Amino acid sequence: MRGKARGVSTTIRWLLQAATGILLLLLLGVHMVANHFIAEGGIRTYDQVIAYLSHPVIWTWEALFLIIVTFHAMLGVRSVLFDLGPSPEAEKKINLGVAIGGIGAIVYGLWLLSQLR
Amino acid sequence: MSQQMSVSRPFLRRGWRAWFQVRGRHVGYIAFALNRLTGLGLVLYLILHLMVLSLLTRGPNAWDAFVRLAKSPLFLLLDGILLFGILFHGLNGVRVVLVSMGIGVRRHKELFWALMGLAALLLLGGVWGMWHV
Repeated sequence: MRGKARGVSTTIRWLLQAATGILLLLLLGVHMVANHFIAEGGIRTYDQVIAYLSHPVIWTWEALFLIIVTFHAMLGVRSVLFDLGPSPEAEKKINLGVAIGGIGAIVYGLWLLSQLR
Repeated sequence: MSQQMSVSRPFLRRGWRAWFQVRGRHVGYIAFALNRLTGLGLVLYLILHLMVLSLLTRGPNAWDAFVRLAKSPLFLLLDGILLFGILFHGLNGVRVVLVSMGIGVRRHKELFWALMGLAALLLLGGVWGMWHV
């Protein structure tokens, strides 16, 4: 029963990893083009960054990108570490570590974005 | 289901050093190892990127000084490596998702090389753009 539940959660994690990965193709693609290929000189100056993020749709897009990329990254790190065959106790520490790291990165990134509105 | 399923569990148990033992391995194995390495590299970049963006809270002088540094040839080289990591990880990820959904299973090698061809074209275009924008 427990093994079956673990199998279901593994499948859900895999689907989330795949779904966020596909979503990132769009989010990252737009982020790269807007910030590094359209922007004059390949990178925005301070005034250009402030003007860019002042648009609510762009601000929301960048915030969504931050959340999705962090979620995808933390699931990936967890997957790599689990494949190294940790003990059940180490697995719990890995889960806690990636959760704290992921939430920390998202909170920090959103705070940063809020400072640039 | 996942890409890991095409790679044997004993391989996974051998740890990360096995990722670099690519001699005589099939394409799927090398793609798996490179996917992991580019993924970890991108996580490292994400952390560095968030740290660098904190310069924006220190005002225009701090950020614009970084912008000048970011336009140096060394940074552009690093940007090229970053673009390679993004393109390989992203397009190989598309292949993994497609094959997991049962699409292109029999021709997954051709699919891999087609996507890598697309990655190479986008990389060339991106690097050209970096040096000319």
